[in-house]
Amino acid sequence: MVKHQALVIGAGPAGLCGAIAMAENGVDVLVVDEGLEPGGQLPKQTHKFFGHEGFFASLRGFEIGKILIERARKNGVKLLLKTTVAGIYEDAIVLYNRELEKTQELKVDYILIATGASEKFISFKKNYLPGIYGAGAVQTLMNQYRTLPGKNFIIIGAGNIGLILGYQLLQAGANVKAIIEASSKVGGYAVHANKIKRMGVPIILNHTIVEAIGEEKVNGAIIAKVDASFKPIPGTEREFVVDTICLAVGLQPNVELAAQIGARIEYVPKLGGYVPYRDENMKTSLENVYIAGDLASIEEATTAMIEGYIAGYNIAQKITGKDFSEQITKMKRELVEFRKGPFSQKVREGLKHFNISFSEGGYRTKIQNNEEPVGKLRVKIECPQNIPCNPCETSCPTGAITVGENINGIPHVDYDKCIGCGICVTKCPGLAIFLIQEFEKSSIVGIPYEFELPDENEKVILLDKNGNEIGYGKVEKIVKNNRFHTHIVFLNIPKGFENDVRHFKKIVKNYEEIICRCESITRKEIEDAIEEGFTDFEELRRYLRISMGPCGGRVCRLQTLSIISEKTGIPISELDSGRYRPPSIPLSFKAILNGEDDKNE
Amino acid sequence: MKRRVLDHPILGHKTDHREEIEFFFEGEKLKAYPDDTIASALIANGIDIFGFSSSGKPRGLFCAIGKCSSCLVEVNGIPNIRACITPVKNGIKVKRQKGKGKPTW
Ligand code: SF4
Ligand code: SF4
Ligand code: FES
Repeated sequence: MVKHQALVIGAGPAGLCGAIAMAENGVDVLVVDEGLEPGGQLPKQTHKFFGHEGFFASLRGFEIGKILIERARKNGVKLLLKTTVAGIYEDAIVLYNRELEKTQELKVDYILIATGASEKFISFKKNYLPGIYGAGAVQTLMNQYRTLPGKNFIIIGAGNIGLILGYQLLQAGANVKAIIEASSKVGGYAVHANKIKRMGVPIILNHTIVEAIGEEKVNGAIIAKVDASFKPIPGTEREFVVDTICLAVGLQPNVELAAQIGARIEYVPKLGGYVPYRDENMKTSLENVYIAGDLASIEEATTAMIEGYIAGYNIAQKITGKDFSEQITKMKRELVEFRKGPFSQKVREGLKHFNISFSEGGYRTKIQNNEEPVGKLRVKIECPQNIPCNPCETSCPTGAITVGENINGIPHVDYDKCIGCGICVTKCPGLAIFLIQEFEKSSIVGIPYEFELPDENEKVILLDKNGNEIGYGKVEKIVKNNRFHTHIVFLNIPKGFENDVRHFKKIVKNYEEIICRCESITRKEIEDAIEEGFTDFEELRRYLRISMGPCGGRVCRLQTLSIISEKTGIPISELDSGRYRPPSIPLSFKAILNGEDDKNE
Repeated sequence: MKRRVLDHPILGHKTDHREEIEFFFEGEKLKAYPDDTIASALIANGIDIFGFSSSGKPRGLFCAIGKCSSCLVEVNGIPNIRACITPVKNGIKVKRQKGKGKPTW
């Protein structure tokens, strides 16, 4: 039998922070997790997190995971992976180690349960088919195991998880055909929705999935419009050709272990369904059992970390007999700050059930009036909702951005102070900050960009906020950020479109472009031949038969020369344009012979 | 292994897979990376059907974190192995599981 002072079940953000709080204060703590890797859902998150710097805002989930794990290890936290808590009995806890194929008995004085949540499943026809995944599963596959289960995806659910998954799929090179949402509005943050809308992914509201198509695996999905009670309306069905369906329809707390140990469980839908009772110190109905994170209420990573700390300090206080009320009060104040906004409404209401109250409001709701200094390089912030986030404010070296009293406030810019340095653009987790500047003939827009970079001077197709093509622009300059991976691409765009252009796409070369019609030779064949070393017009002509057809090179000569010039960098004026051979138009032998006849006459 | 994301704008180029390992699925020899789970290796090889329910319906991966039991396979004769949280190993023999699975002793 192994003994520890405290056991933490679950190595996600809540569990790790709880363990850190205890270990920092000398508690002997063991963290047990089923996974192959610690960090819970953090290692699969490639996007930047919201919140404030104290809780790693602007860092990406997998980076936060690494920091927490390192901090835990440094403080002496013991970590047992691939191990499941198989049962909690009155006299001992039984652990099952999958790798060693054995069980182990454990005795502890305190337990922090941070088992997180599982994805919900919904029912529709053929929902059992392979090719239907929980959103988190697809994230695990593509971001941890670098494997994409399909090419064409549809996502069910436009909460933050669905929206984030859509963006991550695009980054991994997949096609996202649509995100479907049953309610009449996007549930997740507008800034997350905007990131994928401007890349052309439609978010279809008031719709749900009714059937998966396929026999052995998914090869399509049928969606339908829903009525006010979320029932599909017959006759409104629409089909999508996809090979993968991702369900992002919500989470439910993993209460099994908490229930087994005898903690009181209650049904509080606003907190996520069945949840353990807890007080404001995260203590359950049992004296020595605490909870934190999604198990306590479905929320997000920052609040999970804070709850972990609150639980951890409380347990440490009991074990060591020392007073940690200062740390506990500080963390509680953080929670109050974070939970003031509209996105915490459900949690606030749910917690009333346990007689815990959190106040609402006190944040700035006004969106800034635009009195912008036209012509000056400056930021344009498009962050219209009250979300708990402030890296724009804290990253700005000149103090030009403020979110106001509370972290849920809407950011405002002091244009006198903004020097257009772009730091906030690369820090903003919502990718919601752009740079603009008007010039006499054209304008510049700086776009936060997390995809394969274009070339400087490349001509690109400009996209608006909904992904519509609105003309052409040119890549003026790229400011790379190799450490944090949010680059800024500055586009030169037509004047008047500063508030429309929000993304761009590459012009895909059409390799079926025919250059020589007579011999049906494509641009690609010419480009390939040039790459093989045929850089001279006459050489190309002999190799490809280009401009040897009846037109005599009228159609293709200049085009071929301009491709040579493009590829070799030699101006057309300096290229040998090749010989002009007679006849200049096709002549029949008869005509030639007749001509002879004329002469003879 | 066609379904790989080897280049990624955030995660960079995957470099930590220098050697590939080999395992068997339904008798066929397949390749995997040493840090794969059985599930990720199968998906990367284009295999989506991991088994069949007792009523004969195809079953695949669903949660990928060991919670749903949708991915049960037989490994070296032992059934009910969750492919999603079991690392792939050189030479293992993986089979599709039908229903509750029949252990071979
Ligand atoms: S561009 Fe620079 S100066 Fe302007 S608001 Fe952003 S960080 Fe501040
Ligand atoms: S603009 Fe500010 S508050 Fe809005 S997402 Fe960006 S950093 Fe957060
Ligand atoms: S896919 Fe859910 S347990 Fe493996």
